[in-house]
Amino acid sequence: MVLHKFGEKLYSGLVTTMTSHLKEISNSIEAAQGGLFLDELNRKWAEHNKALQMIRDILMYMDRTFIPNTHKTPVHELGLNLWRDVVIHFHAIQSRLQAILLENVRRERSGEVIDRGLMRSITKMLMDLGPSVYQDDFEKHFLEVSADFYRLESQEFIESCDCGEYLKKAERRLNEEIERVSHYLDTRSEVKITNVVETEMIESHMHRLVQMENSGLINMIVDEKFEDLGRMYCLFRQVSNGLVLIRDVMTSFIRDTGKQLLTDPERLKDPVDFVQHLLDLKDKYDKIITSAFRNDKTFQNALNSSFEYFINLNSRSPEFISLFVDDKLRKGLRGVTEEDVELVLDKVMMLFRYLQEKDVFEKYYKQHLAKRLLSGKSVSDDAERSLIVKLKTECGYQFTSKLEGMFTDMKTSQDTMQGFHASHGSDIGDGPMLSVQVLTTGSWPTQPITTCNLPAEILGICEKFRNYYLGTHTGRRLSWQTNMGTADLKATFGKGQKHELNVSTYQMCVLMLFNDADRLSYKEIEQVTEIPTSDLKRCLQSLACVKGKNVLRKEPMSKDIADTDTFLFNDKYTSKFFKVKIGTVAAQRESEPENQETRQRVEEDRKPQIEAAIVRIMKARRVLDHNNIVAEVTKQLQSRFLPNPVVIKKRIESLIEREFLERDKGDRKLYRYLA
Amino acid sequence: MHKLGRGHRDKVQQFMTITGASEKLALQALKASDWHLEGAFDFFYGQQSHIKSYTNTTHLEELYKRYKDPYTDMILVDGITLLCNDLQVDPQDIVMLVVSWHMKASTMCEYSKEEFFTGLQALGIDSLEKFRERIPFMRSELKDEQKFREIYNFAFGWAKEKGQKSLALDTAIGMWQLLFAEKQWPLVDHWCQFLQARHNKAISRDTWSQLLEFARTVDPALLNYDAEGAWPYLIDEFVEYLNENGIIQNGQFK
Repeated sequence: MVLHKFGEKLYSGLVTTMTSHLKEISNSIEAAQGGLFLDELNRKWAEHNKALQMIRDILMYMDRTFIPNTHKTPVHELGLNLWRDVVIHFHAIQSRLQAILLENVRRERSGEVIDRGLMRSITKMLMDLGPSVYQDDFEKHFLEVSADFYRLESQEFIESCDCGEYLKKAERRLNEEIERVSHYLDTRSEVKITNVVETEMIESHMHRLVQMENSGLINMIVDEKFEDLGRMYCLFRQVSNGLVLIRDVMTSFIRDTGKQLLTDPERLKDPVDFVQHLLDLKDKYDKIITSAFRNDKTFQNALNSSFEYFINLNSRSPEFISLFVDDKLRKGLRGVTEEDVELVLDKVMMLFRYLQEKDVFEKYYKQHLAKRLLSGKSVSDDAERSLIVKLKTECGYQFTSKLEGMFTDMKTSQDTMQGFHASHGSDIGDGPMLSVQVLTTGSWPTQPITTCNLPAEILGICEKFRNYYLGTHTGRRLSWQTNMGTADLKATFGKGQKHELNVSTYQMCVLMLFNDADRLSYKEIEQVTEIPTSDLKRCLQSLACVKGKNVLRKEPMSKDIADTDTFLFNDKYTSKFFKVKIGTVAAQRESEPENQETRQRVEEDRKPQIEAAIVRIMKARRVLDHNNIVAEVTKQLQSRFLPNPVVIKKRIESLIEREFLERDKGDRKLYRYLA
Repeated sequence: MHKLGRGHRDKVQQFMTITGASEKLALQALKASDWHLEGAFDFFYGQQSHIKSYTNTTHLEELYKRYKDPYTDMILVDGITLLCNDLQVDPQDIVMLVVSWHMKASTMCEYSKEEFFTGLQALGIDSLEKFRERIPFMRSELKDEQKFREIYNFAFGWAKEKGQKSLALDTAIGMWQLLFAEKQWPLVDHWCQFLQARHNKAISRDTWSQLLEFARTVDPALLNYDAEGAWPYLIDEFVEYLNENGIIQNGQFK
């Protein structure tokens, strides 16, 4: 027919015929009852497709020539369009189709089993009918209805479930929807429906979930419910600000916990225990972040900044961390494998990094290290050196050069002692055995020189050593640091029991007096030894007032040392140990006044550092305004401490005074470097 | 004078009061500047600088001999006291500071011969009479803002001990009382009290010069005080002191 130019007639005839045929089909579909509706529709659709194929084959010539020329819709497409317009969009069918499809979904959601294959065919049909048919006729409504459904359900759940249960349910529903899509919906619907579920079930209730009493985020953290936390993380990740919420709540909880820990006076009494608690806290949260929060970097950062925040709330933190290290290096790490030692030291370094006042830590660390080295009480030389290396890596050579100097002195002293004994060994004979550590002044913590009169026996050998040393090292000055030494004394008590007493040098001086007298008053002891009052009192206290170590008796038996007390040699002293340690050499938490003093010294030390930074900056910039100087100085010094802007200002003025800088004539806020 | 209009008459009067010039000079200056006072001042002071070429060195020598110390070639305390008597001026009078400034004197209570000559020549003085006549002029210089600043800053170096970098607190307070009596700074007494109570140390040059700026630019109720203004820390502490003690409250100065 086409060849004979009857294409138009053929085409329009096709249209008409098909249309009327389809109208009949519509009617029959409409007539179908209840459950059979879909079935009927499906069957008729399958038939139509088959028919279309045949028609297309038959009319292929027209399809290829007439239709393109006249820009008419190709046969197959025409067939689909007609199906769409006549059948599907026939109003009776359209609304019913939609309703049934949605009803099926609802039934499935409440647990019924539906014919998924049939659903699949229908949705496929809709997709085949054109890009927007699936969306407009089905998907749009599907999403709306689902939203309502989940809104209701989530409301129900949230009233009746605790957080963990709720999240489980939400997760289950999500998985169901994903499965549904894979079975009988367009894959592109997946992200849309999951969005709906997430919005209704998670986003709308996320605050309430997190804050839920007895089961919310905080409880999960405290009870270490990793699975629940992991689930919450995954679910909340899908909604905007979900993770932000978790992170914020967790962060403020950590901060509060930390703050409490740092301001609790009970906790602060034992520094080692306190630091251990900090480490435990960090471990706990690290574990949560790795196992439940997928090592999320933003959470790691939040944890770090929280720690940084509260560790610096207490100005004693640097001291305590050093005391913790001291305890470990003294005894805590005894018998521990090398690997585990490294682990502990790395944890210490982690805490160190959080400190704002690293220079304070340095001061205490130096003091404690000095005590450890001099009393020979370090558990492992390797461990000590390992920590120094870590500090050097973190802070640079300057930080550790003095510390390394201390180690060098110890080694050198060993050699010196060998030399001394080699040359003087014969002289000593029965006299006291002397062991000297020669300390280079700059490397060791500064100590004020104190008076102390050594017993005659000791003086002799000390002089011998001094002469020996100065003989080989000219131009040096030696001064005995009587407040840092120790002595081992062999003592015999009333019933002949012998003990070896390990005491401080001061204590040795006091005890030796009792070789010539049985009782001595405080004043007499003070006069002869010339030991400074507070040190003497402390020394006598540990000799006379401590149970198990009271080699002296005191009259009266009060707890404190008074100027009027009298001391007697305690004949009746017993101990089950042969060797008794009485010396107070271990590093201890400073008393308040001592702490103040150390603070003072730190502040004094900071002044030249600030000035050096100012001069460096001004030398480079030549001219700079006040606020920028403060910012630059702060930046330069931040690895050691946080400088106080008022102190910076004072240093600037001091530098103006000393003509390193001047103010600009016109602008007061501007400073100039004077070469 | 009766030929002048009211406005011009007032100006002449004002000019004479401020500069201490004679009526003739006043008229001359005002006419030259078209009856603008500012211009007249410039003209008048400009004139003064030409005068030094008219001083007689011999007379100056005589004057110097009168006051110089018998044993040293300098004018010392006694000489200065005598000079003040001759001028009928109190030795504590601030005009003596102005004199010292003209002389570029290095330290208070003594003048070298060179300083004496420099100063008097700059002022066009070679006799006691002329010296007395110049006193009003010198007083007027204190009213000029630029000159006051120079004199104020000069005072620091002049009042401090030779060889010291800073100015002793007592001396500083004395100088401030003197200088701010001219300048009228309402906070001067509080400032001195504050220093005695809280600071008790010498005053640095920077603090000295910055204080004048503070007095000039910041109002007594501290309304325009800028904490970020890079004021010396002593001044920051002073502000704190004023606030703490309720001297400044809610932007009101009591």
